[in-house]
Amino acid sequence: MGQFIQQLINGLTLGSVYGLIALGYTMVYGIIGMINFAHGDIYMVAAIISVTVITLLAALGISAVPLALMVTLLVVMAFTAVYGWSVERVAYRPLRTAPRLAPLISAIGMSIFLQNMVQLTQGARVKPIADMMPGQFNLFTFDGFTVFLSYTQLMIIVVTVILLAIFTYLITRTSFGRQQRACEQDQTMTALLGVNVDRTISLTFMLGAALAAIAGVMVTIYYGVVDFAIGFVAGLKAFTAAVLGGIGSLPGAVLGGLIIGMLESFWSAYYSPEYKDVAGFALLILVLMFRPSGLLGRPEVEKV
Amino acid sequence: MNTLHKKLSVAGACIASILSAQAYADYSVAIAGPMTGAYASAGEQIKRGAEMAIADINAKGGVNGQKLKLEIGDDACDPKQAVSVANAMVNKKIVFMHGHWCSSSTIPASDIYNEAQIPMATVSTNPQVTERGLKNIFRIMGRDDQQGGVAGAYVAKRFAGQKVAVLDDKSAYGKGLADETAKGMQAKGMKPALRESITAGEKDYSGIVSKMKAAGVQVLVYGGYHTEVALILRQAQQAGMKLMVMGGDTLSNNEIVTAAGGNADSVLFTFAPDSRANPAAADVVKRFRAAKVEPDGYVLYAYAAMQLFQQAATTAKSVKYNDLRKALAGGSFNTVVGKMSFDAKGDLKVPAFVVYQWKGNKYEAVK
Amino acid sequence: MTTFQARTHTVTLTERLKDATNVALIAILLGIPMIGLHTVDAGGKLMVATRWPWLLAFVATMFFGRLALQFAIDQFKLKRLTRQRTRTLELATPRPWLKWLGYGLLGFSLVLPIAFSDNRYVVDTATTVLIYVMLGWGLNVVVGLAGLLDLGYVAFYAVGAYSYALLSTQFGWNFWETLPVAGALAALFGILLGWPTLRLRGDYLAIVTLGFGEIIRVILINWTEFSGGPNGIGSIERPSFFGLPFKPDSDDGATFASFFGLEYASEHRVIFLYYLILVLALLTNLFIARLRKLPVGLAWEAVREDEVACKALGMNVTNVKLSAFAIGAMLGGFAGVFFAARQGFISPESFVFSESATILAIVVLGGMGSQFGVVIAASLLVILPELGRDFSEYRMLLFGAAMILIMVWKPGGLISRREPSKVLAGVEK
Repeated sequence: MGQFIQQLINGLTLGSVYGLIALGYTMVYGIIGMINFAHGDIYMVAAIISVTVITLLAALGISAVPLALMVTLLVVMAFTAVYGWSVERVAYRPLRTAPRLAPLISAIGMSIFLQNMVQLTQGARVKPIADMMPGQFNLFTFDGFTVFLSYTQLMIIVVTVILLAIFTYLITRTSFGRQQRACEQDQTMTALLGVNVDRTISLTFMLGAALAAIAGVMVTIYYGVVDFAIGFVAGLKAFTAAVLGGIGSLPGAVLGGLIIGMLESFWSAYYSPEYKDVAGFALLILVLMFRPSGLLGRPEVEKV
Repeated sequence: MNTLHKKLSVAGACIASILSAQAYADYSVAIAGPMTGAYASAGEQIKRGAEMAIADINAKGGVNGQKLKLEIGDDACDPKQAVSVANAMVNKKIVFMHGHWCSSSTIPASDIYNEAQIPMATVSTNPQVTERGLKNIFRIMGRDDQQGGVAGAYVAKRFAGQKVAVLDDKSAYGKGLADETAKGMQAKGMKPALRESITAGEKDYSGIVSKMKAAGVQVLVYGGYHTEVALILRQAQQAGMKLMVMGGDTLSNNEIVTAAGGNADSVLFTFAPDSRANPAAADVVKRFRAAKVEPDGYVLYAYAAMQLFQQAATTAKSVKYNDLRKALAGGSFNTVVGKMSFDAKGDLKVPAFVVYQWKGNKYEAVK
Repeated sequence: MTTFQARTHTVTLTERLKDATNVALIAILLGIPMIGLHTVDAGGKLMVATRWPWLLAFVATMFFGRLALQFAIDQFKLKRLTRQRTRTLELATPRPWLKWLGYGLLGFSLVLPIAFSDNRYVVDTATTVLIYVMLGWGLNVVVGLAGLLDLGYVAFYAVGAYSYALLSTQFGWNFWETLPVAGALAALFGILLGWPTLRLRGDYLAIVTLGFGEIIRVILINWTEFSGGPNGIGSIERPSFFGLPFKPDSDDGATFASFFGLEYASEHRVIFLYYLILVLALLTNLFIARLRKLPVGLAWEAVREDEVACKALGMNVTNVKLSAFAIGAMLGGFAGVFFAARQGFISPESFVFSESATILAIVVLGGMGSQFGVVIAASLLVILPELGRDFSEYRMLLFGAAMILIMVWKPGGLISRREPSKVLAGVEK
């Protein structure tokens, strides 16, 4: 029983991380209908930048956690947004009218490029930071098993919920959101109606990157160890999560992330960690067999 | 042979010689390992050691009056790239290879060196490396079954009566080591409480950590690389567990100290005897430190591999495969990591493993 | 569409400088966290170190690079504009030079091992290129002809490789016996995967195939009793020349060298393997070229062009897609058998996602549906990293950059011809 609750907490935290990254995937997909394969690596870049910023703050003697956290988040979001913008500008914009697979290949190229750039500029070694928010709530003890919820875990879960709310509002209730959804439907028509399509897409990429930045900072604080290769696995899992929940749907992304996270935690706990990835993908295939657009995705209307 | 063929082969030879840009007077010796990728720090160590050794040998006039030239191959610990590197090295007409580092790279690459008749000295510890009947392989470190035996016996003795979990990271090296250590424990009458595999390269091991906590595990025997150990230790500390770790030679990498965030002191590992204290190595160690290189991990092994070549080639008075192989198989060599001689399989006759423990940012032998 | 459009009026230098300054500003922002600052390990904890000169150099490079690039683009566009005015409308004609180039390449590939008979590295790299060519042609059936995005193609490659490895080490089957069996097995896997998922839309299909590839890999790693787990399978029987093994000296019967009265050389096998894969690749090519002219091939292309119309005409779209999947998988299986035979050792590490990505990149870079483009792209993607072995640190970085650049430069692929194989007579495109 104790372990069950603990694994639930672990799964929620892991799922929130996946959900955060999946939000970025879904936003970008929602506007240009394209898988941004480099998104996982944007998250990796953010995690690496956050290590630098946190280390710098510690060296400057800024130790008040809320302040340090706010500064880190803002700085990392700003820099990562620039990366998001550049990635779109260099690898995707020239290919907007190209065959559908071309941006996918340039995205894979971008992913390889970013990974190796970070390895070259920051080194191949793992980047550790000291525990920034030590401490935890010990919830209860059951059969000698103390269930805990660390401050970091709580923060990650809360931040994910808040961000989901903010972005849902942004997409459904603001003029930017309307423009974005219009771009998704018909770019040419949207442009004729006086919406700056280029700017809308750029902004979406920057927002997606900012989301990845938040995920990167959270992960750095939670795990304390980051390296240049973390983008791929995280990106793959988050991508799976986004598709599982229905790509293009924000709540779907978080739901998908939570399902994958929970599945991984409980699978490792009660079966074995060896086949947890198989379980995740098998679940995805099963869900898609019965709901071809994911759990919360809208069914696709075939255009003739 | 027709003239066209002649012309073509001449042209080919020209291109080939331009491609490989060889200085024919020298002996080319090579190292291969992960110069890029996740294990690049090990490759770095090998490179430092070999470069220093080559410089030293050349300063003393080389081998049989010939200077040595070092070729460096990067396989990134990927078997396919290892094969490619091996072919490139064969082409460069190397006479001796120190490599590869990952067992999974050494195994496929060794077939190619064997075919091309090039002797090799490796630090890969997977038993399979020397169990395939190849005549050109010499292993200058112990094997995982020996390493596991030492580690297993040590765990069974020191942690008698405690609950031990055995994990590996599904790599050829990690799984082999974990299996052998589990065997060594069982030989001393200790059964692992958990036996699982994790996926390397992930960040979240909280699931398996909570599982160990629920099972009351106090000691973790881990087969794999240091990054995952660091993460597991951090997450175990968060979960309020006091976890001792017992691992293999790869945990000698000092990255673990920073990565584990102050928890590395509970890490034990088996490794060949530390040669830095070896009187024969005193002079070399001093010069490494003067060059701002701490000769830990595989640095001195790479140095020793080159000494091995130098001594064997001097004994054989040639670098032809058959002479060199005979000299290596039959000789006994004094290197910076101690005396070496090989059995029929090419394994060390007297391998030794010592248990070390991290203290601060250095590791010390456990008394 | 783009912000910095080439304008028809001549661009002033001030505008150019402004544009380059903007790029430099972006470069500063990009550079500060990655180039300007970096963390170094200082005795057990990290410290931030600075590299301002590097940053300066990077920004300057970007600034002048942008200026030069824009200038070049302007010149190019001007030229093209003047050219376009003078050019009359051309009809798309089949390109005869391509055909000749193809024959030239074929001739070159036939004499390559003879020319480089003492350079096994070249022959071996060429063998790798041909493996990728074969894989590219196989995936081309799925992606280029049938228009299905498959990100897990490596799964079928793995099925073929493991079939041969297991059948030869466990049951002593030889290469030629295993080839059809492995192909059939891979095709079966293709049908197994395709049958439940082919109803899905493009991107969903992509993630499902990716997942399938990962599932196969994870099973191979963990099911140790079956596949040897992470240790892989070693000492796989190498293919022999009509029963003559390539060995220095064999106790039982003749070897290749003794039979032909040659001195044993390890290059013999390398060259033999090269010709073997060349034959396999050429057979693959003929096979696909025939298929494209048959009803099934035409159906693939029809489904690619307009699935809805095909459904309306009463075609069984799922079956058409399944046949493409199965045939693509079978060809991947063949390539896998050869890979296992050549390496002599296989482990799950050889079948990771990046391998799938590489094969897909070959198909897309080459131009979807173009057989010849695949050859060019495979050569590029294999030889580029090999050339870079000497500056290995920058190897993959440049590789990634090259992928982006080629795509931006030629979005349709290097040899872009996705015209249907058959068009109605008298219709001018």
